[in-house]
Amino acid sequence: MRLVTARSLVKTYGEGRAARRVLDGADLHLDAGELVALVGPSGCGKSTLLHLIGGLDRPDGGSIELAGRRLEQESERGLTELRRREVGFVFQFFHLIPELTGEENVLLPTRLSRNGGSAPARARRLIEELGLAEAASRRPAQLSGGEQQRLSIARALANDPALLLADEPTGNLDQESGHQVLALLRQVASDSRGVLLVTHDAEAASIADRVLRLEGGRLVG
Amino acid sequence: MTLPGGLRASLRRLGARRGRSLLAALGIAAAGAMLGTAVTVAYGLSTGFDRAAARADLPDVIARFSPESQSVVDRRLSALPNLRARAYRREFTGAPLSSEGGASNGGVIQTVGPGPRGYAIVAGRDLRGPGEAVVERGVAREWHIHVGGSVTIGETDLRVVGISVSPDNVAFPLAKGPRVYVSSRALGPRFTSRPSTNLALIWLNDRRLLDQTLTQARVASYGLSNLRFLTRHGVRTQIDQAAGIVIALLVAFSVVALGSAGVMLAASASADVQRRLQGIGVARALGFTPRAVAAQHALDAALVALPAGVAGIAIGWLVASGPSARLLETVNELPPGSALLGPLALALLGLVLLVALASAWPAWRAARRPVVRVLRGGDVSPSAGSARFGGAGFFGVGMRLAAARRGRTLSTVAVLAVSSAVVLLMLGLASLLQRLENDPSLVGKRYQLTVTFPVDRVHELEAVPGVAAAAPRYSVDAADSFALGENLRVIAYPGDHTRFENPPLESGRRVRSAGEAEVGTGVADPLGLRPGATLALALPSGAEARFRVVGLVNAYENDGRVVYTQPNRLLAADPSLTPSIAVRLKPGADQDTVTTRLSEIGAQPQAVGGATSSSRALLSVLASLLRAVALVDGIVCLYILVQALALTARERRSVIAVLRAGGAGSREVRLVLTGAALLVVAGAAPAAVALELFLLGPGASRLAASYVSLPLDVSLGQIAIVVGGLVLLAVAAAAWSARRLRREPVVAGLRSD
Repeated sequence: MRLVTARSLVKTYGEGRAARRVLDGADLHLDAGELVALVGPSGCGKSTLLHLIGGLDRPDGGSIELAGRRLEQESERGLTELRRREVGFVFQFFHLIPELTGEENVLLPTRLSRNGGSAPARARRLIEELGLAEAASRRPAQLSGGEQQRLSIARALANDPALLLADEPTGNLDQESGHQVLALLRQVASDSRGVLLVTHDAEAASIADRVLRLEGGRLVG
Repeated sequence: MTLPGGLRASLRRLGARRGRSLLAALGIAAAGAMLGTAVTVAYGLSTGFDRAAARADLPDVIARFSPESQSVVDRRLSALPNLRARAYRREFTGAPLSSEGGASNGGVIQTVGPGPRGYAIVAGRDLRGPGEAVVERGVAREWHIHVGGSVTIGETDLRVVGISVSPDNVAFPLAKGPRVYVSSRALGPRFTSRPSTNLALIWLNDRRLLDQTLTQARVASYGLSNLRFLTRHGVRTQIDQAAGIVIALLVAFSVVALGSAGVMLAASASADVQRRLQGIGVARALGFTPRAVAAQHALDAALVALPAGVAGIAIGWLVASGPSARLLETVNELPPGSALLGPLALALLGLVLLVALASAWPAWRAARRPVVRVLRGGDVSPSAGSARFGGAGFFGVGMRLAAARRGRTLSTVAVLAVSSAVVLLMLGLASLLQRLENDPSLVGKRYQLTVTFPVDRVHELEAVPGVAAAAPRYSVDAADSFALGENLRVIAYPGDHTRFENPPLESGRRVRSAGEAEVGTGVADPLGLRPGATLALALPSGAEARFRVVGLVNAYENDGRVVYTQPNRLLAADPSLTPSIAVRLKPGADQDTVTTRLSEIGAQPQAVGGATSSSRALLSVLASLLRAVALVDGIVCLYILVQALALTARERRSVIAVLRAGGAGSREVRLVLTGAALLVVAGAAPAAVALELFLLGPGASRLAASYVSLPLDVSLGQIAIVVGGLVLLAVAAAAWSARRLRREPVVAGLRSD
């Protein structure tokens, strides 16, 4: 099932002579159950593309269809609703809230969920399944990078999204933790979710079903 | 190593963080507004009398007596040593006076002859001929009289040529009668050839010899009846009597506002340094000395503080100058005009210095810490033991985000508490004013009505249903025989006066016999009277009466310049004294019903007010002044909360961005910020109440009046208003901050790490 379709995406930063077009007609599609790796040199626009597909930013041109909805036609409220239901984000620097415990961090998005009481139970089950029971009671500052990233994946999955967007999820981890996180992402994709992975780590790209390279603002498959 | 660039570099830095600089400037402007308000009010009120007295060349002594030939009075007066100048007036009271805008049968007309005036012309010119009049400013304002208009005395029309101010009395309508000056020639050639006078204005060469001069004047005044002296000091006291408690409370408030602004500025500057800790770390790592870092922060802060301070102080002046000038007008004093520029400039200098020092001090302290610790951002990471309160929902997250910055949260709580306590103080003041106006029991009066009725028929009043007791009440204005400038009021009841007036006894005991007196601390302190001392009083009749002081009392009446005794010695000295009758009602008796019944038997009842019952116009001006100050303070409270939230949102923008990326909408962001704001309010509200109850209230009471204890308590309702207001402000600040955050792209927050 087609989850994401992006056509002719254009995104420009700056104005006038300082303007830089990082996306210049990029096309992309992603199916449910598929893990696609997006690679390219630093600053080429990988994260920008991820943000556009996740509804965090708006393209200057082109169209994005996510779960049957055209993002460029959605209001801010609509995009917020879409992110809440359909998208999970994983960041390079984890972005866990340091004042909350691991479990509180994972459970926080469930307060946004319309699934009533089932979301927290699901989030707790995720913590168990990911082997994070011990880490769940501690604050992020007391956890390893790998534990923090796995917690952030659990947080991203707490509301059962169809699409997981991971921006350099292993960029701040040692090799062993990186392995664990990649294995987890692979497992997420095999669970009928789409995963779009931004990375410049060759090993990370090797677990993907497809690898897309961003060059000159376009995606090359 | 010192920082390069100096002023130019500072300006570049401020330009680079325009938003924060603007926020800091807003805070400084808010504090400046408080400062401007406080300085405008305090300086205007504290110097108003001296300014008006100097401009009007107010005489050192005003002597009033029964009409006498001016040549006779002048012969005696000119014999006094230490005399610089003198002038005579004939004062007519109870004159029919009218104009197009008003009329009164209680007009006060003073004829003006040669010599100094004792009043200042503030519009038009002075008198030149018999068909002219100079009208006092209060009358002109109330009756809409302008120069070139006319007033009518009896049936004589006079052209108004000038408007005057004289601080020898409060202004109309606070003063009982409207006052108009006319030329002595207006009374015709007969009066001009053999003038009589009942008012002498005396200017001295050496004011320090006032007491001696007054004693000599009294000796020389043999034959003058009903002689009363009023000195400059006495005039000041008399004017203060009209507004004394409230004006002093306003000055006290200004002192509190100054302190509050200082605390707020210091906390704000300190928070700004906290936010720039990493920059300080980098500067130190590059080799800049702590002194250079501190100097840079001081310069940056001063550059923001100067324009913001000018704007804030100007706003404060604009807000307060109108009500303050109106208040001064009601007591016949003059606004400071350009003389206020000096104190305002000093306030600005103090403000800029305070901000610069408040920035430099924490920067210097931070710069002296190990560079590695500073580079980590000082308090950016929450401590391991930070609280886990508030739950883990969005509201709780907000509380925890705020609590993670313990130092800043505490300083914000402190500043908000002080500002809120000031609001509570004002509410306490307002209700006190209201009670002073309406509630006689508050000022120790236990009678509710006075009636004009023959003394020998008092038993008829006591027979009226609802009346508990009635007794003659004598009230005489007198002066201390040894310090004739010390005016006071003697109140006398036959028997126990505490049945009708019960001022708290501070020391000694109550009056038991005719020769004894209880003395108010407002007059006991300046005269050095204690129980056992002898009080000699010069009565208006010229006779003297002596009393043994047996007790000191805290009385509101006449600003504590009051003596309670029994009437025997007063009547012996002046048998013509006539009392009013004080009527005390039975508990639960309906005052209106009793008033009707008393009227039916021929009495003329009048309700008794509080200490300021004659000052309704003044009270309304004071109320508007308090409202202006409260408005400024409310804005300051809102600013404090917005600033705290803006800082939290700025520092924790990545947290907010992650929440938004995960689908948190405006409502959830608002909840986070509301949690952060309410944590501050939860700390500030009880602290404000405690501050008001144990520090500001008692402090303001003491500052306000040394002669009495003011019950400046706050009620539960007022506390609820302030706490509720704080909660509302917190919600409003959170909504405003959330709205600002919503405009920021989510990705901007995600990039901040």
